[in-house]
Amino acid sequence: MMVPVSTTLTLNVNGVNRTATVSDTGMPLLWVLRDILGLTGTKYGCGIEICGACTVLVNGQAEKSCVMDVGSAVGKPIMTVEGLAVDPDGQKAQAAWIANQVPQCGYCQPGMLMVTVGAMKAGHHGASIGSENSNVCVCGTYQRINQAVQGL
Amino acid sequence: MSGSVDRRAVLTGAAATALVIPVAVVATRNAATLAVASTSGTATASTTQPPGAALGAYLQIDSANNVKLFIGPSEMGQGIMTGLGQLVAEELMLNWSQLSVEHATATAASPNPFANPMFGAQITGGSTSIRGWYIPLRTAAAKARDMLFAAAEAATPGGGWQLASGGKVTNGVTTFNFSDLVAAAAKLTPPSSVTLATTRNVIGKRLHRTDIPAKVDGSAVFGIDVQIPGMVFASVIHCPTSGGIVASMPSSQNGATLINLGDAVGVIATNTWSAMNAAQSLASAIKWTLPTNLASRDSVQILATAQSLLTSTTVTPRIYESVGGIDPAAALGQATTKIDATYNLPYLAHACMEVLNCTAVVTPTSAEIWAPTQGQAMCFPTIMGITGLPASAISVHTTYLGGGLGRKIEQDYISQAVKIAKQIGKPVKLVWSRKQDFQNDKYRPCASIRVQAGADAAGNITALLYRNVSPSINIQRNTTPGNNPEDTGAVAGAVGLPYAIANRRIEFVPNPADIPLGYWRSVGESYNTFAVESAIDELALAMGKDPVALRRSLLTSANPRLLGVLNAVDKLSGWSTTAPPKGSARGVAILSGFGSYIGLVAEISGSATSIRVNKMFCAIDCGVAINPDSIEAQVQGGIAHGLSAALWGQVTFASGIPNVTNFSNYRVLRRAEMPAVSVAIVPSTEAPGGVGETGVPCVAPAVANAFAKLTGVRVRTLPFFPGATMSDG
Ligand code: FES
Ligand code: FES
Repeated sequence: MMVPVSTTLTLNVNGVNRTATVSDTGMPLLWVLRDILGLTGTKYGCGIEICGACTVLVNGQAEKSCVMDVGSAVGKPIMTVEGLAVDPDGQKAQAAWIANQVPQCGYCQPGMLMVTVGAMKAGHHGASIGSENSNVCVCGTYQRINQAVQGL
Repeated sequence: MSGSVDRRAVLTGAAATALVIPVAVVATRNAATLAVASTSGTATASTTQPPGAALGAYLQIDSANNVKLFIGPSEMGQGIMTGLGQLVAEELMLNWSQLSVEHATATAASPNPFANPMFGAQITGGSTSIRGWYIPLRTAAAKARDMLFAAAEAATPGGGWQLASGGKVTNGVTTFNFSDLVAAAAKLTPPSSVTLATTRNVIGKRLHRTDIPAKVDGSAVFGIDVQIPGMVFASVIHCPTSGGIVASMPSSQNGATLINLGDAVGVIATNTWSAMNAAQSLASAIKWTLPTNLASRDSVQILATAQSLLTSTTVTPRIYESVGGIDPAAALGQATTKIDATYNLPYLAHACMEVLNCTAVVTPTSAEIWAPTQGQAMCFPTIMGITGLPASAISVHTTYLGGGLGRKIEQDYISQAVKIAKQIGKPVKLVWSRKQDFQNDKYRPCASIRVQAGADAAGNITALLYRNVSPSINIQRNTTPGNNPEDTGAVAGAVGLPYAIANRRIEFVPNPADIPLGYWRSVGESYNTFAVESAIDELALAMGKDPVALRRSLLTSANPRLLGVLNAVDKLSGWSTTAPPKGSARGVAILSGFGSYIGLVAEISGSATSIRVNKMFCAIDCGVAINPDSIEAQVQGGIAHGLSAALWGQVTFASGIPNVTNFSNYRVLRRAEMPAVSVAIVPSTEAPGGVGETGVPCVAPAVANAFAKLTGVRVRTLPFFPGATMSDG
């Protein structure tokens, strides 16, 4: 049996340095954000990098945090849905989501927004934003997501 | 109720100024607890509410004249907070920005003002929330209005009081904010009768949903997001074979505490990930006692049983409807055109985007849960049974639901969290892994349905013999005990058909399978409508008639609203006027259900092995449309849900072991596969109908009918593409 050794890491989340004590640096970033830092906007959907509910930006790139070791996020800027309101691209995406009344249950939407903002930061605009978004929305808000990205 | 109220007041910091008097139409009660009704379901200490005075069970008005509406139905994506908010805003002439809407905390009040008026219990399901609350909530708001008038008159006699927009009462001379009057109004006796507003300034408008801002900035609190000081994290592992129970188990695993939950083992750790990992790693360490009859939990056996019951002449079917002077079997003998078709539909999983979870705090004197639940009414007996506490010591906080779909009416996950919290004496958040969620669902029943129908030479349908063989939710749950328990839900969508069919008999034969069953968005209609609307199409083709024209001829006088949506979707899709694009075909299906009427046309292209659903045209008559934008969203979502099920949805069992483990082998629709959905809402002044489920049932038959037209192949067994997988495309 492995004896867990606690490690204290510093993570830069939404522009703020946060310390997190973990028993395993292999713990996925998702669960460090949710259970240790209390940032519950990032969601668990599948845990196997299919659904995208857990998407965050690391170094400006969309990553599925359910399969990203927290250790590998150390030293890199992390943006979660809670950080969108102070990011210009994030603000635009949020406004488009509201204008198009995208969310239903809303559970997948943090991931949908992060994938979208990641695409904006990679230089995509309008309809081209959709192409890398294969995130799952069981409520079926896809049509409105397609509308919402048109103006971005 | 003191214990839990005190605790909640401390946790939320909510100001408990509650002068509360009952004006609820559904019921009255001492609603002292409502003033501290938690809003978002979180117990995070930072939640602070401005002090507000309650006016009846549903309304609270703060000193800034903001109005808060407390509701009983659970917000699970359907927009019920907004829909009910619009009813109240109309009645009280509120500015939309002045109103906020929250889940009421469910307590033991009896009668419960938050009980669903259509069920008499606090349950969200059956697309009943708008239908049930349309009159009662407006009546409650109108009573509040009249009490505010009376308070204004007492303060400044003069008469002539009326509402002014923005939460004001005026008589032209004096004007009050509601907040000036609420304390006095709350002391008055509610009027026994009221006149409802006839204005339509808010009802019928595409107002923005009240819950969406919190759903784009991460602040919306779903059950899985609840945080309580000092809480521990738990997960579970169930027997891999459905129906198995724990025989023996280790007492701990990698330092995690284990708890025997009967049919599962609870694992407690310091975070969810560790708890899930420890649970998964227990698989071989726990010994399970398997159920004795594995054949009744095996898909091959279950289907074989169904096929023999479908044609059995010795079994006595339950006859749910028998219409006409001639035995349909005899009428079939006279028919000149006949079909005899058997449709098979699989077990389905709910796959709510948010896995099952519940947070619980149990003390010797109180129990409190925060849960994404559609079944508050059932949570009370669940918790009482485990804790031995009286109902008055129990509070149930409803969080946002990351999808409900019928699954979150169930009590299994609630009961587990309460058992764990009681045993360890600490607050606990229980979260299932996705695999546990898929493998321990209460599945949509499988169904095998045989339809025999015939028409005479003049083109009249003269016979319909319909036999549904499916496992019965009611029998499995013993909800209608007796020798011949009822399960009208099993034939919903097959009885009371709107079509002029002279002689018909609707039979149900329960399949004695033991796979756990539950209510899945659109319940019985989700399988019966596939059989009915496919069979009508098959009959039309056999008779050489256009499928829309045949339906129209069968509907004329009897059902103007269904005829209305059929005509509307005909027009919207260009069915009768414009040929579909080359390589495409259209299929139609219609339904009267959930108090509404819907017509759907699917336009698809492709081949027998691969199709693309390009467009969906939908006409819906749901009576008064409270928020057309929400209705369109529900139709779009219902179509997506129906398509996932029709194309790929299926759970099979090998001696009780389910084949699905995650979205990897339970494929659902993704963005690139979403058809363009056009919705026409047929104007109506009738009472509102249901919308949440209405969009689902017609999807599979419309697509199958289009597929038959496109390829000449009739799909009678769903899903279209069994065994589909999904990766991180
Ligand atoms: S939870 Fe990470 S992709 Fe689904
Ligand atoms: S909005 Fe509910 S899962 Fe996407």
